[in-house]
Amino acid sequence: MIRRKLTLAAAVVTVSALSLTACSGGGNEPAADLTSVSIMAPFLEAQPPSADGAVQKKLEELTGKDININWTPNSSYEDKTNITLAGSDIPQIMVIQGKTPGFVKNAEAGAFWDLTDKLDKYPNLKTTFPDIQENASINGKVYGVYRGRAPMRAAVMFRQDWLDKLGLQPPKTTEDLYKVAKAFTEQDPDGNGQNDTWGITIPKWGALGTNSPYDLIEEWYGAGNRWTEKDGKLIPSFETDEFLEANRFVKKMVDEKLINPDFATFDGTKWNEPFFNGKGGIIVDVDSRVSVLVNLFKQADPNNFQNKVGFVGNLEGPDGELHAHPTDGYSGFLAVPKASVRTEAELDKVLEVLNTMNGKEVATLLNNGIEGINFTVEDGKAATMKPETSEGKAVSTDIKSYAQLGMNVAGNNFYPVKQASDYEQQVFDKRTEVMAEDLKSAVYNPAAPYVSATYVAKGAQLDNIVADARIKYLAGQIDEQGLKDAIKLWDTSGGNKVKEEINKLWQDNK
Amino acid sequence: MAAPVVEAEASGRAATRPPARERKNAKFSVHFAHYKWLYLLLLPGVLYFAVFRYGPMYGVSIAFKDYVPFLGVNGSRWVGTQHFEDFFSNPDFPRLLGNTLILAFLNLGIAFPLTIVLALLLNEVRLSVLKRTVQTLVYIPHFLSWTIVASLSFLLFALDIGPMFQFLNNVMGTNIDFLSDPAWFRPLIVLQEIWKNTGWGTIIFLAALSTVDQDQYEAAIIDGAGRFRRVWHITLPGIRSTIIVMLILAIGQMLNTGFEQIYLMTNALNRDVADVFDTYVYFVGITQGAYSYSTAVGLFKSLVGLVLIFGTNWLAKRFNQSGLF
Repeated sequence: MIRRKLTLAAAVVTVSALSLTACSGGGNEPAADLTSVSIMAPFLEAQPPSADGAVQKKLEELTGKDININWTPNSSYEDKTNITLAGSDIPQIMVIQGKTPGFVKNAEAGAFWDLTDKLDKYPNLKTTFPDIQENASINGKVYGVYRGRAPMRAAVMFRQDWLDKLGLQPPKTTEDLYKVAKAFTEQDPDGNGQNDTWGITIPKWGALGTNSPYDLIEEWYGAGNRWTEKDGKLIPSFETDEFLEANRFVKKMVDEKLINPDFATFDGTKWNEPFFNGKGGIIVDVDSRVSVLVNLFKQADPNNFQNKVGFVGNLEGPDGELHAHPTDGYSGFLAVPKASVRTEAELDKVLEVLNTMNGKEVATLLNNGIEGINFTVEDGKAATMKPETSEGKAVSTDIKSYAQLGMNVAGNNFYPVKQASDYEQQVFDKRTEVMAEDLKSAVYNPAAPYVSATYVAKGAQLDNIVADARIKYLAGQIDEQGLKDAIKLWDTSGGNKVKEEINKLWQDNK
Repeated sequence: MAAPVVEAEASGRAATRPPARERKNAKFSVHFAHYKWLYLLLLPGVLYFAVFRYGPMYGVSIAFKDYVPFLGVNGSRWVGTQHFEDFFSNPDFPRLLGNTLILAFLNLGIAFPLTIVLALLLNEVRLSVLKRTVQTLVYIPHFLSWTIVASLSFLLFALDIGPMFQFLNNVMGTNIDFLSDPAWFRPLIVLQEIWKNTGWGTIIFLAALSTVDQDQYEAAIIDGAGRFRRVWHITLPGIRSTIIVMLILAIGQMLNTGFEQIYLMTNALNRDVADVFDTYVYFVGITQGAYSYSTAVGLFKSLVGLVLIFGTNWLAKRFNQSGLF
């Protein structure tokens, strides 16, 4: 009896010890003739697309390769990128989400192929926006095929019904924005007889240079876009007088309660709620939020949702000029690690695959789906198939993730999406029109391509000094002198060195 | 033959002490042959610690290197104590140390005694239905994640609209933005900690309380001791060793001020008092990719924790002779 029990114990021990050593394996060498391509990409949906879905099959059919995509949750993507690079099983193509310190260090240590002189050889990888490619580079070195994004997105959204009720015009200048915000706060735009509304809703969003409402207003005031040229040198936009002016303007609105009082803590995921519920009538953000807001009203009342949401693009500053705030124009890039693609010959084959993926056929697949299954083409636009089949729905769901692989470096090589109703189509067309018009007055970040070593090492800590001071100033915890002191502290804590390095890179590349 | 020995071994350290002394004289091989099955049973535990606890420690070496993931742990450049020097000379250092210690001592000084008080109160409840209901109710918050606790705080204390804000505004006439006022950051953190974990912490004390000799209470009642006398002279001495062990463990964990809780409650207005080692390591290490630097910070924190745990143990032994090890 006892002996049997002990043998059992021994067996349990042995098995569990074996299972500890059983987790080896993996790390396949890439085939020389490249029959398969492995890609690491983020997914933002609740679940990654299935590996045997229709989109996957079509993608393999169009490229003629086995495509193995390692879908990684977006929230931990940066960590996984670094862990992957430190490991032995490295994919041939990696989606890199931006010039993060981690990526820059790896790239400068030689982890990725330098594609600067390579991309132009491939018709679909040759960009028609060289400026954006330059912005996505590290000091002029292109380490990946950038993922193109709308270059202009800044917009001011407001409750159109409130504006009509108070007999106001849509804002054109920052001064108009103040007037509308004041009227929304004080003139009872919802007509309930109570003083329970405010003008602009701003969520907890303090970091510098992240296209926050503060960044937008500063740029409209002429402070520049992160960096600006002054007396032949580049300085950070927060060292301009316009930066202080813009924040005085925002502070005036905070003090007069035209902005939600909890702007320092308000949860950004609830940003639409005060707008929809009739508390705060203005949102300053990207123009795609217009369609989100319209959709909210549509869901609440499908028969009467028009004319609830109005919007304009960028606003003129107090100098009477339009300094429109563009985006970086890209969202990361697809890079090729040297550890998995060893020779130039292999690199050429991988780039050929990327070239195919950037062609019209694959771009349509990744962004629109499969024609006849989830969409049909109507007047050159992709309209959702009615009625939706379960197969079509699966494709529509999957492409939300596959679109992450789209690069579109030569403009959008696929169909624009047809909106659900005429009104929504009008709104969409107007958005496109306004953004195209604003793009002509865009003020770009002159330092975008340059990466300073000091900034990589401690840029985020440095920027936090100014970003926190900005919020503290607006909340009244410190005065303007305190804000100026914080900007000086940025300089002395390492900012002066960042300025020196950026200016040197800028001069060298001029 | 072996079965009684197994039982004796399994029943705890106290029981094994006398045989251990006898064994000293026996030769190891004889001893090993005798207990080979027990050693085999020990093996998975040793392997677990070797593979998952001690093995990864080689990664700590990146605290002394300029780690770049592509170059790997071995390929990265050795920089010695550079990161430690940077950290100690950084103006952030005194602020982080201060914030971490203040929060740690507040939690230890307020939340820890409250656990004992709650356990004593529960112990005095006569009606067992009531006692069990209350016990279950106070355990529940422990199972909510910090995200939910933070969301609840945001709802309750939100400026102008939060029920707690309105209540305090109406009753006391205060107009405080609890969520962004730096002065209210620490009280909120301690309150959340109390709300979430006090009930759960009572479990061990309640178990200890059930072992206190009931005869002593009867004797005390006959002697005319009141309720507080009995708690002071019988109950508390009865669970003293448990309190000390729990205190040493709590002190070992003291610097783990809790990343999630503090990260969620931090905003631009209270960051000066909110930044602690844990959030700093995340901010510098994960969001900025300064792995070596943040590892150095984490290592420093662990060393302080180690000193604290040994120090308390030493103190406890000096005064009570019943430390943790």
